[in-house]
Amino acid sequence: MAKKRHVIGAIAVTLPILLALSACAPGGSTAGTTTHSTVSKDITSKPVTLNMLDFWQGGESKWVDEAIAGFRKQHPNVTIKRTVQDWGQVMNTLNLRLADANGPDIATVNNGWQSMGTLAQGGRILNLDAYSDLYGWKKSIPATMLRQLEFTSNGKEMGTGSLYATPTARSSLIGLYYNTTVLQSLHIAVPKTLGDLEKACEKIKAAGKVPFAFGSVEKDSATAMLFSVQDLYGSAKNIGDFVYSAGHIPMTKTGITQAATTIKKWADNGWFTPNYQGVAYADALDKFMHGDGAFRFEYTGAIPFTDAQKQTYGYLQLPQVDGSGVVGTGSASGVMSISSKSKNPDVAAAFLNYLTNKQTAQLAVDHGYLPLLHSDLKKPAGNAELATEITGQQSLDANNGYVPYFDWSTPTMLDTMGTQMQLLLAGRATPQQLTEAGQKDYDAFQATRK
Amino acid sequence: MSLRTTSVRRPLAVAVRAAPRVRSRRRGWLGLAYAAPAIIAYGYVVIVPLLQSVNFSFYSWNGVTAARWVGISNYVSFFTDPALVESLWHVLVLIAFFSILPIVFGLISAALLGRGRVRGQGVYRWLLFLPQVLTSVVVAVIWKRIYGPDGPLNAALNAVGLGGLAHNWLGDFDWALPSLGLIGTWTALGFCMVLFVAGVTAIPDELYEQARMDGAGPVAEFFAVTLPGLRGQLAIAMTLTVTGALRAFDLVWITTQGGPGTSTTTPALLLYRKAFLNPDVGMAAAIGIVLAIFCLAIALVVNRLSEERDS
Repeated sequence: MAKKRHVIGAIAVTLPILLALSACAPGGSTAGTTTHSTVSKDITSKPVTLNMLDFWQGGESKWVDEAIAGFRKQHPNVTIKRTVQDWGQVMNTLNLRLADANGPDIATVNNGWQSMGTLAQGGRILNLDAYSDLYGWKKSIPATMLRQLEFTSNGKEMGTGSLYATPTARSSLIGLYYNTTVLQSLHIAVPKTLGDLEKACEKIKAAGKVPFAFGSVEKDSATAMLFSVQDLYGSAKNIGDFVYSAGHIPMTKTGITQAATTIKKWADNGWFTPNYQGVAYADALDKFMHGDGAFRFEYTGAIPFTDAQKQTYGYLQLPQVDGSGVVGTGSASGVMSISSKSKNPDVAAAFLNYLTNKQTAQLAVDHGYLPLLHSDLKKPAGNAELATEITGQQSLDANNGYVPYFDWSTPTMLDTMGTQMQLLLAGRATPQQLTEAGQKDYDAFQATRK
Repeated sequence: MSLRTTSVRRPLAVAVRAAPRVRSRRRGWLGLAYAAPAIIAYGYVVIVPLLQSVNFSFYSWNGVTAARWVGISNYVSFFTDPALVESLWHVLVLIAFFSILPIVFGLISAALLGRGRVRGQGVYRWLLFLPQVLTSVVVAVIWKRIYGPDGPLNAALNAVGLGGLAHNWLGDFDWALPSLGLIGTWTALGFCMVLFVAGVTAIPDELYEQARMDGAGPVAEFFAVTLPGLRGQLAIAMTLTVTGALRAFDLVWITTQGGPGTSTTTPALLLYRKAFLNPDVGMAAAIGIVLAIFCLAIALVVNRLSEERDS
């Protein structure tokens, strides 16, 4: 008995303490904007170490390392320590890491409500307006690109307000890759329109080969194709306004229903890798790299071409179905924010500015990636594949056809569309139902913004 | 009956304990002092987060900005949100695969391996226990290959002329969940078997001799001696495998991520999504608390059942 009483006593003492520790409303009360009143281009000459959190691995990692080396030539007193993890890991832990005073000074954030919007609203990343004025980013970065990086300080509006991140001078588009070896063996010309593409697929299928290398085991595997094909039907304005919640564009006007219909038709025609519903993303990519499949919708920079493959593969930015221009999903391959806990925001901003400049863009091209923000760069000889990507990008530039990633429209849109695409391909949802599910997701999110 | 026995016992127990009272009190404090480091550590890494989770579960919170008190609405939506309700049905299916099947197979193999001297029995045990030693990520990756459209399973079916049965196991709306379940069966089987085989060897031989003398065949022997003798092990196996099914995450995340569509979502998967991917920390905490209560309830019920039969 005596023992029991002691235990009860101990609990009686510790429980209220523990409750007091835990029982209060979670989350900071600091809402709104964090900005530095005194900003300067003249960074300190004392030794400074910046921590940077990013997701560039493998070949992409070299590009960043060389950019850092270039920056250090100008500022030898600055050391930049990178922490590199895969995209998912960075995104899952970013919000907590930026709350830590010893966390990263600079981090890659994701566009859209759930990452950049939340962080801006919670004051965890710096409002970069003052640095933007200082370095003239509003002039050097195109308005369509800036819009992707803007939020109001209360986090309620996207695509307007203050700047919370800067792009790197390297871009990432979604489009159609093709294998010329497969096409030439069947005497098929590289398609120029959606109609050409479908005719080519018919021929390839008739020859007993696979038109599209594609696998949909993972939920988000089909979204690259969905958003690419959507860009052939929806206007840049409608898609953009829908994503940024500007005006009242219903999802039916973004071309998503037509895209889903088209893709379902391709599936029914047997144009995808056999048993694609059981094929993993990496396996489908591997098949495409090994010539098993003539086409593949993919993010630029995601396919590690060998030197030989750079001669035989190519990239296409298809024009819209009604011939009105070229629309394509694209953004910087990474956008950088500064932690509001950073002790050296001036140094961090100087590095961010370096990542937007021509040297960094040239480095991207040298490593076989698409540049951003700069033209008149030296193109490396013997990379025919990159040349086709640049042609695609220029057609977007000429048409001012960039649209943001469709899944930025709500925090759950990527998951909703991934789920719906699997249902659609299995014949368990119609293109109309896919659009309705997306609209429902959108409306539910819009209701939380008010 | 039971009332009378306890009323007789209790004063006795007190009388026995009352004598060395001072000593026991000092020992009590001393014991607590010895346990203090462990209690503090446990409190800090388990109790505090638990209480925090309870607290979070009453808020709508994205993890960064100020939270909004929402009362029990997170708990209400646990049982009304179609996605979560669906995931609870999936858990029931998984319980059949993660718990019932391995226990049945485990009992059969224990009956076969436990008492008789089977040649190479060590090798069988080793082989069946192997999945239990492997990390769940390794298990998931191996099975993802096995279930692949060109994987060994479909190849084997084609080779014996059963190509018609070949499926996109993990990509098929109807087959994905049972396919996942079978991976769990494969992993849990070794654990159940080793537990039961060990239990069988602890049953006194006399009981078996007696049963045989009474004319029991192997089947009657199993139900009269082996099964009652394994009650404790059954309770452990039941508790661990059922809670394992409730908590199923790693296997699902690596093989299907809840797809195709939503055909393999589990509450733990939705918890992860809401905690990290699309932060709704309050809802994630509520899911965690409800799962913890379920697990606790299951452990209590199973223990109570096995103890009741003992007395």
